[in-house]
Amino acid sequence: MKALSSFKYDFRASLVVFLVALPLCLGIALASNAPLSSGLLAGMVGGIVVGFLSNSQVTVSGPAAGLAVIVTSAIYDLGSFGVFSLSVVIAGVMQIIFSFVKGGRLGYYFPTSVIKGMLAAIGIILILKQLPHALGFDADFMGDESFFQRDGKNTFTEILWALESTHLGASLIALMSLGIMISWEKLAKSGKEIFQLVPGALIAVVASVLMNLFFEKFIPNLSILDQHLVQLPNFKAGFSLPDFSAFNNPKVYLTAFVIAIVASIESLLSIEAADKIDPQGRITNKNRELFAQGVGNTITGLIGGLPMAAVIVRTSANIAGGAKSKFSTIFHGLWLLLCVATIPHVLNLIPLSSLAAILLVVGYKLAGPEMMKSMYKKDWNQFAPYALTIIAILFTDLLTGILIGMIVGFVFVIRSSLHKSIVMVNEGNQYLIRFHKDVSFLQKSNLLKMFDQIPEGASVVIDGTKVYIDFDIAELVEEFQKRSAGKNISVELKKSTLALNTTFLEKHA
Amino acid sequence: MKNINKILLENKAWAQSKIDLDSEYFTKMAIDQKPEYLWVGCSDSRVPPSEITNTDPGQMFVHRNIANLVIHTDLNFLSVLQYAVENLEVPHIIICGHYNCGGVKAALSNQSLGLINNWVRNIKDIYFTHKTDVDSIPTEKERVNRLVELNVIEQVKNLAHTSIVQNAWKSHKRPHIHGWVYDLNTGMIKQLICLDPETEVDSAYRYDF
Repeated sequence: MKALSSFKYDFRASLVVFLVALPLCLGIALASNAPLSSGLLAGMVGGIVVGFLSNSQVTVSGPAAGLAVIVTSAIYDLGSFGVFSLSVVIAGVMQIIFSFVKGGRLGYYFPTSVIKGMLAAIGIILILKQLPHALGFDADFMGDESFFQRDGKNTFTEILWALESTHLGASLIALMSLGIMISWEKLAKSGKEIFQLVPGALIAVVASVLMNLFFEKFIPNLSILDQHLVQLPNFKAGFSLPDFSAFNNPKVYLTAFVIAIVASIESLLSIEAADKIDPQGRITNKNRELFAQGVGNTITGLIGGLPMAAVIVRTSANIAGGAKSKFSTIFHGLWLLLCVATIPHVLNLIPLSSLAAILLVVGYKLAGPEMMKSMYKKDWNQFAPYALTIIAILFTDLLTGILIGMIVGFVFVIRSSLHKSIVMVNEGNQYLIRFHKDVSFLQKSNLLKMFDQIPEGASVVIDGTKVYIDFDIAELVEEFQKRSAGKNISVELKKSTLALNTTFLEKHA
Repeated sequence: MKNINKILLENKAWAQSKIDLDSEYFTKMAIDQKPEYLWVGCSDSRVPPSEITNTDPGQMFVHRNIANLVIHTDLNFLSVLQYAVENLEVPHIIICGHYNCGGVKAALSNQSLGLINNWVRNIKDIYFTHKTDVDSIPTEKERVNRLVELNVIEQVKNLAHTSIVQNAWKSHKRPHIHGWVYDLNTGMIKQLICLDPETEVDSAYRYDF
């Protein structure tokens, strides 16, 4: 009986998630410059397969906005969607391997500031790249991932160009969609349940379809042509196999690695966030999640779907919709399947510009101006890697940007740890040097400067008993002790049986 | 979590961290003690002796009371002193007061505090002896701090007047007696006085052995 009563909630929640997921799956596929059906396939696999395998009861997986930027450039670099699908399969296998080597800790090795910077940059890219689509201009499908595009234009010139060749009907539809989503969200925040359960994006899409039908009937000049509408092939044609002949292309593996890493991090972050908002406070096994995601990506790759990750917007919709168990996410996958199998012609009425509008909102939320403000107010050590990651990703590409962000992050970590880890005090000719934080070889020059300040005839105590001392530093201390004999400086090392370094370690008698 | 439970956990973690570094730490420590210092300090919670001098367990024998007093009829203190000097054979005794001491403030005021009046009386006696000196100081804060210093010096002398110290000075040439004052505002200790074993004790207080 208990299972039955919770099924009622799961059923209702699954419909809510389905309605949120449908436009997002299409929109993310659009943003990825991939066949739109691939987004729906990823949504199905994310719901049915990952939902079934995952250890989380409330998390929803599917195509992720955070991956769209990688997918766009990967499809372009690899030359065909079939080759790209192969790297998705390999990425899935890599994630399964991550899960077996307990890679659930992976997320902890990336500084939060860099991850936040990555998400913000993806948000900004989504906004910049979707603006032309929203205005009804879809000419440039290539090079969407980076600021400087291969056709000699950059993102801004493209927006300007798009402004000149806008399609009024498409722009109106995008504008209306934005208006609906923004006001819908405001109404949802005011607490009316209906606005919380029915997603604004879905209303925007339905309204867009109706508006375009209206244009067709009464103002044909404004109506949107087929090429600017969703064009789903029939159900069977949506599936495609990977191009296995590309297995010896090293780029396939590099792409797979980037997808595996970013998808894993995104999934782990979403899982962590989902566990925090799960009303039942269940904690998800992270390694098990990587396994589920890995199987999901392998399968989606095999059937021609986009790569996927655990995603937070659909997850929070699931929880808000009242989901109690994983039946909800599994059923949302089934609804997607049912929808594509039975009513593709209805989906084909959706104008791309309304999907672009949805992505503008997603991008705005990822870029998070409020987050930027709060990061700016934080410590410089946090803000600098955050801001530099954003800038580096915008002007290079995602992988290079993340690497630059990581390096900057580490430089700042090191810089702040260099601060004040050695104290030197003196009383006349008597000196005490104490290491009070762990010291590494990076502190060599600091320590040498201190040694240089000690005059001849001084007596020095060096206390390194309480912290970890790098071999290089210990060596420097011992050298100083030897050199000092000739300079009439007496050096005494404080010893302890608790010391972490042999130089300062005292043996039990 | 209740604070009292927190500090029990802190203790557990502290013990664990020592054992992680040296599995024999406590078993060796438990065998015996050979501290180098006897610390006579104030009970004030802001003046923890091992923390401010970075000394480890086993290094310091400690006696603390309000305003770090050496009272010749205080059996508790005298027992500590005798054990430290005669059994542990400490080479140094430190009397450490601190500025802005509550006990000293009380001695300068006319407020009646109940039982504690009797303890503070000892400081009032020092105030009485140095009344012109202390009263000539313009501000209340500085008067308190001056009396804090005078108190430390008097307590150092009180130590030298005990037969325990005089006996050890004569037969073992130890301990040195240090009078210090700790500044709560800077965390620094100032040295006020140091008596070595050769010090001549005023004949009124001198014992012949």
